[in-house]
Amino acid sequence: MDQQALKELLYKMADDQLIMGHRNSEWTGFGPLLEEDIAFSSMAQDKIGHSLAMYNMLQELGEQDPDTVAFTRNANQFHNCQLTELPNGEYDFSLIRHFLFDTAEAIRFEMLTQSSYEPLAQVAAKIRGELRYHTMHAQTWIKQLGSATEESISRLQKSLEYALPFSLGIFERSPFEDKLIADRIFEGEAALEKKWKAKVEELIGQTQLRLPSWESLTPVVGGREGKHTEHLQPLLDEMSEVFKIDPTAEW
Amino acid sequence: MYGGGNTFEGIKPDALAGEDPIKLAEFEAKIDRGEKIEPTDWMPQLYRKQLIRMIEQHGHSEIIGALPEGTWITRAPGFKRKMSLMAKVQDEVGHAQLLYSAAETLGKSREQMIDDLINGKSKYSNIFNYPTFTWADCCFISWLVDAGAIVNQLANAKGSYGPYCRALDRICAEESFHLKYGHHCVIYLAAGTLKQRQMFQEALNRWWPPMMHFFGPSDKISVHTEVLMKWKVKMGSNDDMRNQFLDMYVPKIKELGFTIPDPKLKKNTDTGRWEYTEPDWEEFKRVINGDGPCNKERLEVRRIAEERGKWVREALRAPKAQYVTPLA
Amino acid sequence: MTLFTSMNSLDPRVNRLPIDKVANSSPKAALDQFGTFEVFVQAKEGKPFQHEGIVHAPNIEMAYVLAKETFTRRFTCISIYVTDTRSVHVSAMTEGTNNAYENINDSGASEPKTSYEIYHLLKRGKQHIHVGSVTAGSPDEAMWRAKASLAGEKQVFNIWAIRTDDIRFTTTEDKDLWLTLPEKKFRDASDYKGGDKLKAFLESVNK
Ligand SMILES: [Fe+2]
Ligand SMILES: [Fe+2]
Ligand SMILES: [Fe+2]
Repeated sequence: MDQQALKELLYKMADDQLIMGHRNSEWTGFGPLLEEDIAFSSMAQDKIGHSLAMYNMLQELGEQDPDTVAFTRNANQFHNCQLTELPNGEYDFSLIRHFLFDTAEAIRFEMLTQSSYEPLAQVAAKIRGELRYHTMHAQTWIKQLGSATEESISRLQKSLEYALPFSLGIFERSPFEDKLIADRIFEGEAALEKKWKAKVEELIGQTQLRLPSWESLTPVVGGREGKHTEHLQPLLDEMSEVFKIDPTAEW
Repeated sequence: MYGGGNTFEGIKPDALAGEDPIKLAEFEAKIDRGEKIEPTDWMPQLYRKQLIRMIEQHGHSEIIGALPEGTWITRAPGFKRKMSLMAKVQDEVGHAQLLYSAAETLGKSREQMIDDLINGKSKYSNIFNYPTFTWADCCFISWLVDAGAIVNQLANAKGSYGPYCRALDRICAEESFHLKYGHHCVIYLAAGTLKQRQMFQEALNRWWPPMMHFFGPSDKISVHTEVLMKWKVKMGSNDDMRNQFLDMYVPKIKELGFTIPDPKLKKNTDTGRWEYTEPDWEEFKRVINGDGPCNKERLEVRRIAEERGKWVREALRAPKAQYVTPLA
Repeated sequence: MTLFTSMNSLDPRVNRLPIDKVANSSPKAALDQFGTFEVFVQAKEGKPFQHEGIVHAPNIEMAYVLAKETFTRRFTCISIYVTDTRSVHVSAMTEGTNNAYENINDSGASEPKTSYEIYHLLKRGKQHIHVGSVTAGSPDEAMWRAKASLAGEKQVFNIWAIRTDDIRFTTTEDKDLWLTLPEKKFRDASDYKGGDKLKAFLESVNK
């Protein structure tokens, strides 16, 4: 098994989940409805938990401990896709991003239940219920708001158009695609992208939202190799503010 | 989270004038037997009014209480603290959800309650009008403000109104996590570096006066609430609650080697009561009435959250929803 | 109320709020509230469903989604269901030694028959608990039939009847939703044992 390829896969998934969870946690106490505030926070906690599981695997593979990895790297050392680091904006954008990202995440982990890397397959099997809730939540909301009032439909439409090019960045190819596929660690981003597009088409089709043609979109890539928007470094600085008062201290 | 005392208005002597004396006697007998009052039962207007007021304020204190700790939600140090704090603040929002639901059974809608909060018509626990300057302030709240809230909530859970008791049973079960988590955080600061110890000592210095205010004005100057005590709406005097808190937590704070910033604080072994510098009740009144360091911000944040969520709620309401009072 | 031009908060999240966007908007509409749904939770296999509280939601599907995290993000749970508050038929509440079933009389049978779920309140201040189901043509008939088949020995203070078709149940596939609940230790008091750290600290101080 190619360790470098495996680590690259784990890092990008973990970084995605950490940054996504962090962003979504910003809504806690500010949500549009008490019950939704609670639900959104739970999913943010799940995301942080998923990233921790990935960083734990990386530690087993010889990387540093999760806290050091998460709280001391700089933006150019992060491999999350840029979609996850974008500021929350209004709830329409946060929901659309959650929908696009978790649709991919659910399919990715469904595929990973078949991974030849046993620890990963086990985690994938275990968190299927959590991801089931995340997609159920996202779909219910998108269906509801995507067919409700003029304002809700136009807000979601605008956010969808803004988020789509970034969401295609989820599937930025890794230099190790062939190895991951050959070693049966992961079926690869291309296979994931195809399934994701079909699912997004199906679900958006059930709303009054319009999906632009895929060909008209230019994927925003670079995140996987450490190229980020101006939003990531401030996010990391904020996240590690207390930790960095004394990184050797126990908090 | 919730501070006692302050929430009750003085009761006018004629407050029960219009009530049917037979029904009133039955109502009081039921409470004396230890049976809870349920939403469809007959109840005096004063009971309904004071309960709505109390439960609503408790709910407001939870939703506003999510803000000072939320200040550190994106900055919690390390995975463990990050997840715990997220879950803890989330619970406080959940407590608001449960409490507003309990108050709704008495006939006031959640939206009306939130309107009254935003428009400054209702009060909430004054302690959340103070700022959390550092991570250690956040830890102080998680441990000691929650500890104070638990003293209050455990007492109130023995009160007479069924839906409020049910909400509090759930809330108290969750609070045990908050308390343990908060204590855990403070132990780590105490046993940590010089800087960490210093951070908590400074937080303790800042938060002790509002903590002493938390249980409300001393009994000497509080309004008379005997009838609310008899009806098991108010479950303990402010001074009793404060005394109970000091009994439980002063030793734990001292155990960690911190200095409580009140040279007069000591337990009188003859009376079993704590003696302390009289809290500044003028400041308490000022803050409760809107002039604390963070009152404006807290309400403004809530207002903005409601305003930003408006299009969502409007979209959900379409085409048309009917509201009925929930059952229990 | 005076509006902020800039929040200048200790909370970085607050400093990012789009204040200018909402500052001039009209005050909150007086009553933008939608309906409530009653939430029931099953803690363990073999245990009855118990009423836990309500959620505000625009429809039953959203109520289900929102109820899940509002009521089952901790403690054990294997299943939940929700129903519109208006779908719950409620008997008169009794007190003292009066049994709620004493007030339930035969109001005659009607057609078509359908299934109803029945709940009892056994103690004031506690929750309604599911006791079984009956087949009836109306809610009143359902209570009358419950009197015959479900009343039992214990004193009942209040009875609820809900048409089974009015309930949004958890599907078999959705049972996975609570798969990792027991592992979410960070939400549990037992995961915060500071005793050893405290002891070591106290020993080091006393040296
Ligand atoms: Fe609290
Ligand atoms: Fe609370
Ligand atoms: Fe709490």
